[in-house]
Amino acid sequence: MIEALIKFLCAIVWFLLLSLYLTWAERKESAVMQDRVGANRANFFGFRILGLFQPLADAIKMMTKEDFTPAFSKRFLHNLAPFLSFFFVAVTISTIPFGSHLMIGGKEFRLQVIDLNVGILFVLALLALSIYGVILSGWVSNNRWTLLGGLRGSAQLISYEVALGLSLIGIIMVFPSLKFSEIVGFQSELLFGWLPKWGVFLQPLGLIIFLMAAMAESERVPFDLPEGESEIVGFFTEYGGLKYGLYMFTDFMKVLIIACLLTTLFFGGYHVPWLYADGFHFPWGGDWLLPHGIVVLFQVIMFNLKVFFFCWLQILIRWTYPRFRYDQLMDFGWKFLIPLSLFNIAATAVLMSL
Amino acid sequence: MVEIFINDSAIKVKEGTTVLKAAEKAGIHIPHICFHDAFPPEGSCRMCLVEIEGHPCLELACSTQVREGMKVYTETENVRDARKGVLEFILAEHPMDCPICDKAGECTLQDYYEQYGLFESDFLEEKERKDKKVDIGKGLILDRERCVLCTRCVRFLRDITKTGELGVFERGVRSEIGIFGDQYIDNNYAGNLVELCPVGAITDKDFRFKTRNWFLKKGASVCPLCSRGCQIFIEYHPGFARFKVPKRVYRISSRVTSRDQSQKEKGYWICDIGRYGYSYMDKDRAENIILKQKNRPAERGEAEAFLGEKIKKLIYRNKLQRMGVVLNTWLTNEELFLARKIFTLDLELEKVFFTELDTGEKDDLLLTADRTPNKKGAEEIGFEINQIEKQKLFDETELLIVFWSSPFGLGSITELLPELSKVRTKILFTPFKRKWNDAFDLVIPTLVSAEKGGSFTNIDGKVQHFDAVLSPPGEARAEWEWLVSLGKEIEVDFNSYLGMKFPYDVYKKMKDKIEFFR
Amino acid sequence: MFRLFGYFFEIIRGSVITARHFIVNLFFHTLNLFGIKTKRKGAFTIQYPEQKSEIAERHRSLHRLMKRENGKPRCVACMLCQTVCPSECIYIEAAEDPDPEIQKYPSTFLIDISRCCFCGFCVEACPEDAIRMDTGEVELAQYNKDDLMLDLDFLLS
Ligand code: SF4
Ligand code: SF4
Ligand code: SF4
Ligand code: SF4
Ligand code: FES
Repeated sequence: MIEALIKFLCAIVWFLLLSLYLTWAERKESAVMQDRVGANRANFFGFRILGLFQPLADAIKMMTKEDFTPAFSKRFLHNLAPFLSFFFVAVTISTIPFGSHLMIGGKEFRLQVIDLNVGILFVLALLALSIYGVILSGWVSNNRWTLLGGLRGSAQLISYEVALGLSLIGIIMVFPSLKFSEIVGFQSELLFGWLPKWGVFLQPLGLIIFLMAAMAESERVPFDLPEGESEIVGFFTEYGGLKYGLYMFTDFMKVLIIACLLTTLFFGGYHVPWLYADGFHFPWGGDWLLPHGIVVLFQVIMFNLKVFFFCWLQILIRWTYPRFRYDQLMDFGWKFLIPLSLFNIAATAVLMSL
Repeated sequence: MVEIFINDSAIKVKEGTTVLKAAEKAGIHIPHICFHDAFPPEGSCRMCLVEIEGHPCLELACSTQVREGMKVYTETENVRDARKGVLEFILAEHPMDCPICDKAGECTLQDYYEQYGLFESDFLEEKERKDKKVDIGKGLILDRERCVLCTRCVRFLRDITKTGELGVFERGVRSEIGIFGDQYIDNNYAGNLVELCPVGAITDKDFRFKTRNWFLKKGASVCPLCSRGCQIFIEYHPGFARFKVPKRVYRISSRVTSRDQSQKEKGYWICDIGRYGYSYMDKDRAENIILKQKNRPAERGEAEAFLGEKIKKLIYRNKLQRMGVVLNTWLTNEELFLARKIFTLDLELEKVFFTELDTGEKDDLLLTADRTPNKKGAEEIGFEINQIEKQKLFDETELLIVFWSSPFGLGSITELLPELSKVRTKILFTPFKRKWNDAFDLVIPTLVSAEKGGSFTNIDGKVQHFDAVLSPPGEARAEWEWLVSLGKEIEVDFNSYLGMKFPYDVYKKMKDKIEFFR
Repeated sequence: MFRLFGYFFEIIRGSVITARHFIVNLFFHTLNLFGIKTKRKGAFTIQYPEQKSEIAERHRSLHRLMKRENGKPRCVACMLCQTVCPSECIYIEAAEDPDPEIQKYPSTFLIDISRCCFCGFCVEACPEDAIRMDTGEVELAQYNKDDLMLDLDFLLS
C-alpha cells in the first residue's frame, strides 16, 4: 500500500511537472519554428534562464484571478467540471510503465504504479470519462455558445474514441495482452534477429490511425473544434482564472499521456534496443555488460526521451496545420479513420493467420 | 397651355411660366442663385443660362417666358461652359471660407461648384478684402466677402416684410449689402434671411458656430407657438457615441409645402418667435412620474392605477360633480377628443375648463394673436373655450386634474395655486418641471409637440398632421397615451379605447364622430 | 486514392518545413547562447522595451494641435476632422474669436484616444494643417481610461 502510494506520488509529480513545462516547451518550440524568441520575460531576481519561470508566473496569475461563475449557473457543478476532466486524465498515468524492475535489497519494485490486467481498456475508459467534464462545463455555463461547444466536443471525442479503440485492436492482436507490462515485454524481442519487435514495425497503419485519433482526443489545433477559439464557441468560454487554467493544463496532460501511450504501445516503452537485464547484446556480436542500476537508469531515460520526442512531434503538428471544418472533422473520423482501422484489423488477422 | 421642349422632351405648361419653372416641372434642375419662388425674377446672378434654339446667345431661364414650340437645351457644351464661367467670376471674389462657414453643407454655391464647376481658377489677383463681421441687427451677422449680391435679402425685406432695412450700396465691384446708417433690421421675420441667403453671407448668432449642419437631422413638424401653425423642420442632433452634445434641437427651419398661389407670400417663411423659440424643448423637462406620497419616481402602472382608483371611487360614491378638469389648447386634436370623450361624455363632468390662452400681438404676415396652436381644434371638437370660473371649480372639489402644456407664461395657473390646498387630490399633466409642480400629488410627465404625433387645427381651419421628431425624455409619454389608458382604467366605456396604438387610430375615430375632421 | 496520396504528401511536407525551421533556428539559438556570434540570428524578434524599432517617417502617432505665431491654436474649429473620423472620437465645441479674420476657434477639443484607430483621416481632412500625428509618441497605455481623453491644453503642448 505504502509502496503503491509512493510510486503514485512519484508518477503524478513527474506527470504534472512535465505538463507544466510542456506549456513552456510549446511556447518556445512554436517560437523557434516561427523565427521568434518566445516567452523570455518572466524572471526571478533578474534571472531569466530562457523564460523557464514563465509557467510558474502563469500559474500564479491564474490563481490570483477572479474566480468567476456566470449568473444562473450552478456554482457547484461549474466548479466541478474542470476537476472532472483533470482528475480522469491525471489518474491514467498510474498504468504507464516507466521501466522494468528495480531491485533494492533483494526486493523487487516494479516501475509502474499499478499493473492492471486490463490496462489499455482502463486508459481508454478514463479518457472517455473526461468527456463529462466537457459536456458538463458546456451545459452548466448557461450560455448557448458553450453548450454548442460542449456538444461539439462530446460528438468529436466520442467519434474519435471509436477509431482510437479500433486502432489498438491490431496491437492487442499481435501482442496478445491488455497489460501494459506484457505488451512492453513482447516488444523487447527481436525481429529477424536484429530489428526490435516494436509495435511500429508490426502495426504501421495502426500507429498512424492511433496518432490521428489521439490528437483529436487531445482537442488541440487541427482538431480544436470544441475550443473553437476563432469563433468563441468553446465549452470553457465562461471559465476564467484557475478553472480555465485547469482545462488548459488538462490539454497538456493529454498530450503527455498520448506521448506515453505511443511510446508504450508502438515504440517499445522503456526498451533501449538490444539492452537486456544484464547489459547490451548487439546483434552484430559483442556485449557490453552493465550493472543492474545503470540498466534501469538507461531504461527510464530512454522512456523519457521517447516521450519528449512525441510531445515535440505533437507540438510540431499543432503549430503546422490549420484546423478542420466541423463536417470535415466528422467525415474524417467516421468515413476515413474507422474504415481504415477496420481494414487494419482485417489485414492484421489475415497476415497473422498465414 | 403651351407646349415646349426641354432637352427634346415635350412638356405642357401654362402661358407666362418661365423656362426655369417649366424645367422644374419636367424634373430638370437649372442651377440658379438669385431666383426665388417667392419673388419675381431678378436676373442678377447669371447662373441660370440655357440655350434656346433660334436665339443667338444664351438666355436667362429665370426670366424668359415660354413660347409655343420653344426648344430649350440645358446641358449643352455652351451652357456648361457658361456656368463654369459664371462660377469662376463669382468665386474670384469669394473667400472660400467653407470650413468656418455655417452654410457649408447646404450652400448653393458649394453645391454648384461641385456639380458644374470643378475648375482651377485662372485668377492670379489677390482677392478683395471686405468686412467679415457686420452686425445688421436682430442677431444677424453679415459677411460681405461671402455675399454674391443676389439681392434676395433686399427683395425679401422690401417685398415681404415691407420694411426695407437692407439695400445695395456703391456700384460695380465695390457694391455691397448694408443697412442705412444705424437703422438695424428689426422685424419679426429677419431670421428668414439666413435661410434665404443662398450662401453663408448672413448668419444668426443663435446657430452660429454651434455645430455643423451635416450633423443635424431634420424632422417635419408643425410650429406650436401660434395658431397659424406654420410647417417647420426641427433640426436636431442625434448625438455622438462617446460625447454628450449640449442640446438636442439646434434650429428650426421653414418647410415649404404649399406652393399654391394664395399662400405664396406666406408659405416660405416662419416668424422669429417660432424660429428661435425652441429652447423649451430641452430646458426644464419633466422626466419622472412623481407620486408625492411615495416620495420617489413612480412606475407608469402605479400612476395609472392611482388616477383610475381616485376617479372610480368618485364614481361609486356618485360624487362625480366633485371632480374638476382644466385643459388647454396646446393639446392636439386627438388628445382633446379623448379628453372630451372621457371627461364630458363618459364621466359627464360639468367642471371642464380651459387655461387662459397665451396671447401676443398679431402682425400682418403670419403671427396671430392667439399664441396657442389648437384653439380652433378644441372648438370644433365641441369644447367651449371658457375661462376658469374659480368659484365653480373649487366648489367642494375633491379631485382636480390639470393639463398644463404651455412653455411660457404663468397664465391662469398662478391664480389656481393659492386655492389648490383646498382640493384633496390634485393631478398635473405637464411636460415641464416648474416650481408649482410640487403643489400636486401626482405629476405626470408628458411631451411637447415635437415629440409626439398628432394634429393641430390652425386658425384657418386647416388640420395639419405631424409625427414625432424627437424621442421622449425619460418616462414622459404623450398625453393621448395617458388618456387612452385612463379611459380604459375608469371602465365606463372600455371598448372605445381598444386598438388606439397610434395617434392616427384616434384620429380615425374622430373622423367618424365629427363632421369637421372628415 | 491519388488525391489522398497528394494530401498526405503535402501534410508531410508541411511538417518537414516547420521542422526544418525549428532545427535550423535552434542551431543558431544554441550558438548564440554560447556566445558564438553568427551573421544569421535565430529569430527576427526585436526585444521591445530595451530595443526599439525605428519609427517610419510617414508614421502616425499621438495627435497634436499646431499653434499660430501668437500661441493660439491654429485650429478654426471647422469640425471636419470630427466629421471624417470613423471612430467618432473627436469632439469639438467652437466659440467666436474676437478677431474677425479668424472668427472661430475651438473652446473644447477632445480626442478620445481609446477609440482612435489611428487612421490619420483627421490629418488629411484638416484644411489648416492644425492637427498632426507626428509626435512619435506610440506608448499610450494608461491605467485609467479617463486619462485617454485628451483635451485642448494637452494637445497643444
Ligand atoms: S458661402 Fe458657401 S462657398 Fe462661400 S464660404 Fe460659405 S459654404 Fe463656402
Ligand atoms: S447677403 Fe446673401 S441674400 Fe443678401 S445679397 Fe448677399 S448673398 Fe444674396
Ligand atoms: S486618426 Fe482616425 S480615428 Fe483617430 S482621431 Fe484621427 S480620424 Fe479619428
Ligand atoms: S479639421 Fe483642423 S481646423 Fe478643422 S476642427 Fe479639425 S483640427 Fe481644427
Ligand atoms: S437665377 Fe437667373 S439670373 Fe440668377
